[in-house]
Amino acid sequence: MKRRDFLKLSCGLCLSLRPGKLCSESLFPLNLKQPNLSKVEARYYEKLPDREIKCTLCPRYCHLGDKERGYCGVRENDGGIYYTLVYGKVCAVNVDPIEKKPFFHFLPGTLAFSLATAGCNVNCKFCQNWQISQVRPEQVEAFDLPPEAVALAAQRNNCLSVAYTYTEPVIFFEYMVDSSIASRKRGLKNVVVTGGHINPEPLEDLIKVVDAIKVDLKSFSEAFYKEYVRGELKPVLEAIKLIHQRKMWQEIVYLVIPTLNDQETMIRQMCRWLLKEVGPDVPLHFSRFHPMYLLKNLPPTPISTLEKLYSIAKQEGLRYVYIGNVPGHKAESTYCPFCGQLLIERVGYQIERIELRDGKCRYCHAPIPGIWT
Amino acid sequence: MSSRPKVVIIRARGLFSEFRPDPKRLQAMIIKGLTLLTSENEIKQAIEKIFSPSDRIGIKINTIAGPRLSTLPELALALVSVLTAGGILQRNMIIWDRTNRELRDAGYPIQTARDKLKIFGTDNPGAGYEQEPYSFRNIGSLFSTILTNFVTASISLAILKDHGLAGITAGMKNYFGAVHNPNKYHDNHCDPFVAELLACPPIKSRHRLTILDALVVQFHKGPSFHPRWAAQYEGLIFGLDPVATDTVGWSIIEKLRSEKGLPSLKEEGRSPNYLETARVLGLGENDLTKIQIIEEEV
Repeated sequence: MKRRDFLKLSCGLCLSLRPGKLCSESLFPLNLKQPNLSKVEARYYEKLPDREIKCTLCPRYCHLGDKERGYCGVRENDGGIYYTLVYGKVCAVNVDPIEKKPFFHFLPGTLAFSLATAGCNVNCKFCQNWQISQVRPEQVEAFDLPPEAVALAAQRNNCLSVAYTYTEPVIFFEYMVDSSIASRKRGLKNVVVTGGHINPEPLEDLIKVVDAIKVDLKSFSEAFYKEYVRGELKPVLEAIKLIHQRKMWQEIVYLVIPTLNDQETMIRQMCRWLLKEVGPDVPLHFSRFHPMYLLKNLPPTPISTLEKLYSIAKQEGLRYVYIGNVPGHKAESTYCPFCGQLLIERVGYQIERIELRDGKCRYCHAPIPGIWT
Repeated sequence: MSSRPKVVIIRARGLFSEFRPDPKRLQAMIIKGLTLLTSENEIKQAIEKIFSPSDRIGIKINTIAGPRLSTLPELALALVSVLTAGGILQRNMIIWDRTNRELRDAGYPIQTARDKLKIFGTDNPGAGYEQEPYSFRNIGSLFSTILTNFVTASISLAILKDHGLAGITAGMKNYFGAVHNPNKYHDNHCDPFVAELLACPPIKSRHRLTILDALVVQFHKGPSFHPRWAAQYEGLIFGLDPVATDTVGWSIIEKLRSEKGLPSLKEEGRSPNYLETARVLGLGENDLTKIQIIEEEV
């Protein structure tokens, strides 16, 4: 990197790095001068006759004519070649506690250099970051942050990991993979926060270069996925299974939306499926919903609902169940499933204490799954 | 909506000279089309039947496919001339689409002066999208402020063409360019999205007139330009019923496909079923036998 580029990057980051705050708050600026788009060839697509293409990155398999964009809005067919428009074009970047992702069994108490580009391959009516995920890249401000600069900036901000998050990192797949490789060279880890709409082949490639994946499982019902996510459940379940089979560290988040995906029977089925397919050690986070985007007519999730679902998951045999978005709740903390002692005490994103020794319970010495160092 | 909506097709043989249409003949086509559509003898009365003098008219064009398959500038400007002759002030008209770049690429000059005809895209300084998403049935979008803040009456001056996903793109789907996230509405052959977007109050309350640019019709492998499957149809299609107008447009595409020995859209599994959805929503008529079609030449 040239000195001038570095100074430019540093200035940009100084302005934008405010922990806990998205840098793209000023959304839909009315006076965008020039769209800041990349033109890097996509890695997963098939060329078809008559300048058409079929995207093979995610289960949508968008079949596109010349000049058309995929469902994600960030990949475009130009003359029969498919391009990503967001390679290195970051619209949100922050230094976050890793707990915010949330990862609870992955380097607790450390910082993650967190970034996103615009776009998403689903359209959740309850999206919490819709201002950057449900837009086209020219509709938000973005700045250049090439992969090597990601690694450098993460290191300079005392982060132990880089998190691809906020929107849907699958749609900036090429950038995520290259940034992960660059970050690994500097001794950093990489974590992915995804909805899991990705095809097996790119997922296999992703798994080779990252260290942990958090999957947002949005429901255990195809009907819900169809109506509220505009996606499919089946490929998400397949992704969860594949991540587990490849021994990649994985955590699951389930956003509980009152009346829509909080049915106890369904949650029990989901827990049984998780137990069978990925085992009792996968952390499961039940997160509290807040009215957003196109679902403003519903109230926030009652805490009693979250506690009920927490109990169901524990009854079904999952060992590490959490309640999220309820700062101060005791189910934010990690307890030893064998002796019941408090192992990691959390208040919000803050770690109060850690009672692990070499990845084991300090009291009964039972191994606690996760990546601790 | 009358029980039998009227759709007018005006054709002009030999309209093109060195790939550009004759502006005078385009004006004559528009005058003929609008007078037949409104059953008026004079263009002024025809325009007064559709618009009020105080209306601010948005002419939504389609420039996504570049210079060879966008609403032609000669056509949009001919329409402005005719509307001006009908008593609409030029300063109360805007020709618009998504971006200035696409408009420029299609041959439109960007014009923003207050006291003149305006031509610019939603990304122009001072325009943009609404800040809060509009939620209606399956639609959740930010609307262009050109539509919501400036326009009181809208004309969809759309290209008629085949569309790989939607079946056809015409007057109704043209409004995909009025929202920030059209890529989210291509599932299931754009059904019900095309119909539901038209039914959204910000569009439904403003839409007055559809004019389909069928001067050159891409009848296969659209929406991008493929000269092999583009026909110089030299027609304009006028309608007050947006569903009926697009239905007639669809029939023209099927006719051109049939003439070239191509399978129908239904046979290819991509009929524009959103037209039936639109009928169910009460937006217009999609049964050709219930549409009064008038075809003339100038």
